[in-house]
Amino acid sequence: MNAPAETVRGGVAGWFEERLRISGLLAALLHVRIPVSAQTYYLGGISLFLFGVQLISGTLLALYYKPTADAAYESVKYITSVVDFGWLIRSVHHWGATLMIASVGLHMGRIFVQAAYKYPRELTWMFGVLLFAVTILFGFTGYLLPWDQKAYWATTVGTEIAGGVPLIGDALLNLLRGGADVSDATLNRFFGMHVLVLPLLLAGLVVVHLTIVHQLGLASPRHPEPRPVRRGGPAQPVDEPLKPFFPHYILDELIAWFVVLAALVVLASVLPAGLEDEADPLITPQHVKPEWYFLSVYQLLKIVPRTIGIVAPMIAVAILLLLPFLDRNPAVAKRRRPLALSAAVLAVIGLVALTVWGAQS
Amino acid sequence: MEPPTIGSMEPQPAPDAAARSSGREAPPSPPRRRFLRFLVGFSAASTLGMIIAPIVGFLIPPRTQGSGGGRVVAGTLEDIPANTGKVVAMGSAPVIVVNTEAGVKAYSAVCTHLGCIVGFDTTVRHIVCPCHDGHFNPASGAVLSGPPPAPLPPIAVALEDDEIVLVPSGG
Repeated sequence: MNAPAETVRGGVAGWFEERLRISGLLAALLHVRIPVSAQTYYLGGISLFLFGVQLISGTLLALYYKPTADAAYESVKYITSVVDFGWLIRSVHHWGATLMIASVGLHMGRIFVQAAYKYPRELTWMFGVLLFAVTILFGFTGYLLPWDQKAYWATTVGTEIAGGVPLIGDALLNLLRGGADVSDATLNRFFGMHVLVLPLLLAGLVVVHLTIVHQLGLASPRHPEPRPVRRGGPAQPVDEPLKPFFPHYILDELIAWFVVLAALVVLASVLPAGLEDEADPLITPQHVKPEWYFLSVYQLLKIVPRTIGIVAPMIAVAILLLLPFLDRNPAVAKRRRPLALSAAVLAVIGLVALTVWGAQS
Repeated sequence: MEPPTIGSMEPQPAPDAAARSSGREAPPSPPRRRFLRFLVGFSAASTLGMIIAPIVGFLIPPRTQGSGGGRVVAGTLEDIPANTGKVVAMGSAPVIVVNTEAGVKAYSAVCTHLGCIVGFDTTVRHIVCPCHDGHFNPASGAVLSGPPPAPLPPIAVALEDDEIVLVPSGG
């Protein structure tokens, strides 16, 4: 019997298809299992979109930015006040960072509430926590680059906190700063990490994270994922209505990206990124405070002994990372997870309270 | 029949059905679909424009004002004796000042071939480009040999007492 004739597509698509044979791969990539009940609020995709925005705006800024203590401040001033649209690109980068941290945090919250970190998605969650950590490191390293007073002293305090880590603190401090103090060497290191190390790391982690998401599909917030029965084949997914990933979900996601882009442009235009006086290692300004996402740690350090204030956030991150193994309850329905949800609500209240307290103190 | 309202929540009869019921032929493309296509295309194009315009604007470097707005003292006649030359900076532009039998002359030091900086060769008494061995006449800036396609542009020069002063065009 003859094999059925291949469908030949014409035009540009057909020309490429004949040479790349990529339609099968694309079809597989565009198929992700999405239960209708899984409300994602598009937060993962929004985080990815914002990473793209940061990549583009950051690359543009790097064309004018000079990463030396003598020239950094002036180059940022030049970008902001001389280069066409420089203020916009810089403000988009500034607000993109804030929105990215917020969207990654909210994405993790959504995953937690819908218990999507449970079997078989433990690794997806752990790579997600690593992505969150790298996003925070992006904020930390990028903060120094304008080399103004706020940047300099926030980094001085931030690296001092790293220096307080038991056992390895001194070595870590020296490694981060490239010397005893925040200096030209620190700026070089932070710039290198911010524009080379972290983007590559984040891109790699995103690829792994998305590959797992693609392979497993989205979790149902109604039914736990069935485990394979002994001596049987793979478990059959619970039969529930699915939503097509393409074009339905992708189109919804695109609309969400449009909304975020609009918010980004409005924020950048209404509240553009500022620049304080140039960094002066001899004068610490009054009431120096970090960015909002570090305010809780900042406040914690004010009210508890130094070691506790440094170790507590590390324990919190470790708990987050190991959450799928610490929470042994297989249930996914909210009413069957009172302990986990209560603990999370208390943690969030504590975090928000410390942040607000830190902002107002 | 009234045309279907864009965005109306009421179900509209299919154009061909409506056309059949009114005894007319179906239009080739329903106006609503055409309008929506236009709307999507317009939105996509304006979004791209909104993103690309600032990026292109950002990439175009701002015009830098030449720091050589005023007169520049290139040196004294003692610094550049007869049959010698010296490259000096006039703002950000390199200028070669040569002391020839026809007097002190100055030219842009940027070779008209491929942009290398020329120098004065005291052996042959020519202005020479080291990149592709282009030779220029120090008295006129004209090409003597080699690949340069044009003479070196002259720069106005004045002698004030013993000092050689370069005068920018328009200054």
